[in-house]
Amino acid sequence: MTDPSLPGSTSAGEGLAPRPGLVALFTGMLQVALSAFGGGLSAWSQRIVVEQRRWMTNEQFLTGLTVARLFPGPNQINMAVYIGAEFRGLPGALVAMAGMLLVPFSLLMALGFLYFQVHELPAVDRVLAGVVAAAAGMALSMGFKILDQYWKDPVALVLAGAVLLALSVFHARLVPVVLISGPLAMAWYWPRPARRAP
Amino acid sequence: MPALWVAAACTPASLSDLSRLLQVIGQFLSLSLFSLGGGNTLLAEYHHLAVDQYCWLSARQFADLYALAEAAPGPSSMIVGLLGLGAAWREGPGWALLSACAAELAILLPSTLVMVLACLSWKRLAQSPLRVAFERAMGPITLGILFAVGLKILRSADTDAAGVLVSCLVCVLMLRTRISPLWFMAVAGGLGAFGLINR
Repeated sequence: MTDPSLPGSTSAGEGLAPRPGLVALFTGMLQVALSAFGGGLSAWSQRIVVEQRRWMTNEQFLTGLTVARLFPGPNQINMAVYIGAEFRGLPGALVAMAGMLLVPFSLLMALGFLYFQVHELPAVDRVLAGVVAAAAGMALSMGFKILDQYWKDPVALVLAGAVLLALSVFHARLVPVVLISGPLAMAWYWPRPARRAP
Repeated sequence: MPALWVAAACTPASLSDLSRLLQVIGQFLSLSLFSLGGGNTLLAEYHHLAVDQYCWLSARQFADLYALAEAAPGPSSMIVGLLGLGAAWREGPGWALLSACAAELAILLPSTLVMVLACLSWKRLAQSPLRVAFERAMGPITLGILFAVGLKILRSADTDAAGVLVSCLVCVLMLRTRISPLWFMAVAGGLGAFGLINR
């Protein structure tokens, strides 16, 4: 789906702001996190990083999304890491991540403290029983959400089915499942048919 | 519906033991590199660690914390912080907060380092067959894992038939509409308060 849209001119495109420093990266990501309190985090980060602060071109941003989705780690946090690393390397990445996480993580910790204080109250437990049912529905929808793009690929469906079977029926652990299925799948999907898995 | 597996009680693993603490941090560090497809793929592993292996939380508490992380603003992968909080809750609030931050850092650090390396070498990486194969291969695997995770959460939610019906309804609505999931949680929470959904 996502093509590797490489920006031709990464260096100082016209209309771009000067490269942000560590403080600017922190406050920028803080702004993204605060703006996105109602949801739509990646839309907000595009609006702020590309349109408002003009740190990078839209192509650079979209490349970032591709990289963030491809590599391990939460997509939104990976995106912050990409933005930080693009300008200030590892320190930039860590600072951007801290800016992105500071407020939501503090809030979540406050919620967690509240939860462990009150979760044994019967009234709270009754409400939670309902909330948990809705959350389970959200969890169920995650797989269906990406299922559509694999309908025309029977190998992908067999692979996904085998992974599901191993995890849910045979209670295998994730790490060995990925370590075994990953190389097999990569061998199958290798773009040059003459080559085999690494 | 009473949970049958509560009977198989194990004693909660304490984190004040340094070697145990390092072991736990090591497990989170290595899981970090396996968080494909945005991090939610690790939920069943978190469940295994927190509920089955170390007995920090009951399955019910795990489902509660998952709902909490989904409802709160920000990346839902911050559930790791909540698990850390629960793991050391018995040892007092200070330890709990420290454990929460340690868990979150441990799960984020390795993937962050990989991500930085990827950014630096992306221009070469973008066109390499390795990347193409990796991207195509991880898609179907992520698909399988996400279905397994959905089933795991549904099972630990452990609600009655009405609750499962609500879960299925929410699943369909999540796919067919753009309504904010917070509404589903609010309505379902109301149903629970009136005793229409039980567990």
